[in-house]
Amino acid sequence: MALADARAILPDLHCFTADAAAEAATLAAITDWCRRFTPLAALDAPDGVMLDITGAAHLFGGEAKLLAEAETRLAAQGFTARAGLGPTPEAAWALARFGQKRLMPEGEDPLRWLGPLPLVALRLEEQILAELAQAGLRRIEDVLLRPRAPLTARFGIALFERLDAMFGRAKTPISPRFEVPSYLAERRYGEPISRRETIEMAILALAQELARLLLRHGEGARRLDLSLYGIDGRVRHIGAGTSRPLRDPRMIARLFHEKLEAACAIESEDDPLDAGFGFDVLRLSALSVECLDEEQANWIRPDENQDLADLIDRLGARLGLRRVTRLALIDRHWPEFAVACVPAAQTLPAPHPNPLPASGERELRPIRLLTRPEPIETIASVPDGPPVRFRWRRVLHEIAAIEGPERIASEWWKNVDLTRDYFCAEDLEGRRFWLFREGLYETECARPRWFMHGLFA
Amino acid sequence: MPRAQPHLASLHLLRAEIAGIESMPGETRRIPLRVAPLDRQLAGGLKLGALHEIVASRPGDQPAATSFALALAAHLRAARRRAPIVWIGEDFAACEQGALYGPGLALHGIDPASLLLIHAASAKEALWAMEEALKSPAPGAVVCEIFTAKTYDLTASRRLVLAAQKHAIPALLFLSGVTGTGALSSGADTRFEIRAHPSPHQASAARRIPLPGFPAWSIRIAKARAGPIGLNSDFHPVVWTEASFRDALSFPLAAHSGDGPDHQEDRRAFGA
Repeated sequence: MALADARAILPDLHCFTADAAAEAATLAAITDWCRRFTPLAALDAPDGVMLDITGAAHLFGGEAKLLAEAETRLAAQGFTARAGLGPTPEAAWALARFGQKRLMPEGEDPLRWLGPLPLVALRLEEQILAELAQAGLRRIEDVLLRPRAPLTARFGIALFERLDAMFGRAKTPISPRFEVPSYLAERRYGEPISRRETIEMAILALAQELARLLLRHGEGARRLDLSLYGIDGRVRHIGAGTSRPLRDPRMIARLFHEKLEAACAIESEDDPLDAGFGFDVLRLSALSVECLDEEQANWIRPDENQDLADLIDRLGARLGLRRVTRLALIDRHWPEFAVACVPAAQTLPAPHPNPLPASGERELRPIRLLTRPEPIETIASVPDGPPVRFRWRRVLHEIAAIEGPERIASEWWKNVDLTRDYFCAEDLEGRRFWLFREGLYETECARPRWFMHGLFA
Repeated sequence: MPRAQPHLASLHLLRAEIAGIESMPGETRRIPLRVAPLDRQLAGGLKLGALHEIVASRPGDQPAATSFALALAAHLRAARRRAPIVWIGEDFAACEQGALYGPGLALHGIDPASLLLIHAASAKEALWAMEEALKSPAPGAVVCEIFTAKTYDLTASRRLVLAAQKHAIPALLFLSGVTGTGALSSGADTRFEIRAHPSPHQASAARRIPLPGFPAWSIRIAKARAGPIGLNSDFHPVVWTEASFRDALSFPLAAHSGDGPDHQEDRRAFGA
């Protein structure tokens, strides 16, 4: 209908420009919310959500009740929804939009339910639909009762592909918005919960349930996700990673405790524990798991690595796992690249730590390295000799002892950086600095510059 | 001093009583630094399950204090060699003074593989992480570097002390934004004030200017709970060699002339 026609019928009609991005975001939020019914929820753009409720319906008292609950809950949030249920995604799509009765029970003759639906329900292109209409074919049963070959020759292969998918002769998978967790435990509450203490108790109970599942399969969780479904339709997700396969329910609860603490400390707009009107479904899922065998408890010497891993997880849950790091020495001579901070949760403690070089062959390296070299002013007695005094951060340092140069050339396959000559200089007070001159005198540059790069004791 | 005796006796009695009230189970062992004048001031050494503060004496002494903190952590951990050192650093401190550099730590006798490095966004988070680390039995020593000392007060320090007592883990707090030990009041056992000190130089074969030697600091013990009464110590030079502290005054300077010429005549010729 044109806007002018609509205005003629209803003069005070409100008009808005369609906002595709906001609509997509809303639909995504609805999809997330729908995960309360099943973990397999897929976005069916532009206006649908596809749920695979295989094995989930009985939790809601049957398929009819599940559909009714989805519709009423969405209506309570201000959305008008039509739910349909069928044996294939295509059948469900068609029933939801065009079905008189939208719930197709199992074991029924699909032709009786799907046959009377219009051909639009097949999601064909406009042109094919128009051609079909010209040929006098309007309903699905009209096509089904006719021979395949001539129709395919005339209308293309898509027609029967769609029909086969609808009747379950070809398999069309849905692609869920989120990966399917390996294990999950969930609780539903008749009365929504909102207090922090109650939520943490619930998390512990869920963790115990999850631990039982994990134990039975001899596995431990590496990545966990807690979903809180608010009754106002908002879904909050809290993720936690661990440094090793984890199964202990108290440890899991503790990780989320730290996460909640950290979230409360930030006081952002998007507070994950802003309960609003409360949460009525809590789900704890193990997104990725690893094999974890039951270990015999060691009485005499408790496992030290275990304690350390617990500490890493606890600190990581609050500060972020990327902030809890280990130093990994890398076999490269360019000073900035000789060491890297790697998240401690990803690396196992090295059983054989890198052997320390013998005292004679150690290179002189500072204990603190500045994030980027800072330019300094120097005075040297000869142009390419070591400095006699220098000024760094506005303080003049007189050199009392100096060692060097140690020449570090940039890696041959890169031709960017100039060669550096490093010196370890000690001033009169005993402060020690790691300086370098960038560029070889008169071969690489006319006036080499000096930089401060690190600090010693 | 015979006249001072009664006072001392009653003070010792009071101390014993307070120790009884504060008594915690387990560790009362003290780890000596093996530098006689300092150990005397510390009444035998440093307690393991206690908080020790480290501050730089003047602006510019922070690297010296950093290396002393590392050396002290390595020294106190010696009892549990395999346990890792947890170093907690406030991000701002790393911006200002540079981040810890792995290859350099190896030089100071600390295996970088045994270091757990934690980056905290603020001093508050750093102190929280320190308390949390002390509560775990895993670390051999916990070092925390904070730049803004505003959040660190008597209550905070007391919490850290209690956490450190739990598993007798040495807790070292390095206040890198503070210089001098003026207005600090805390529950720490010991407070070290660190100053850079000229290292025992080694004669250079090629130049008039000598080579820098082993790391050295001037250490002042600004506070020692168990130390002798009326502590008023002065800076004492200490050298760090082969993973142990040495008294710089008794350190044989000539013995470590690394790659200098061996002959007396040559040395004179090079002006050393």
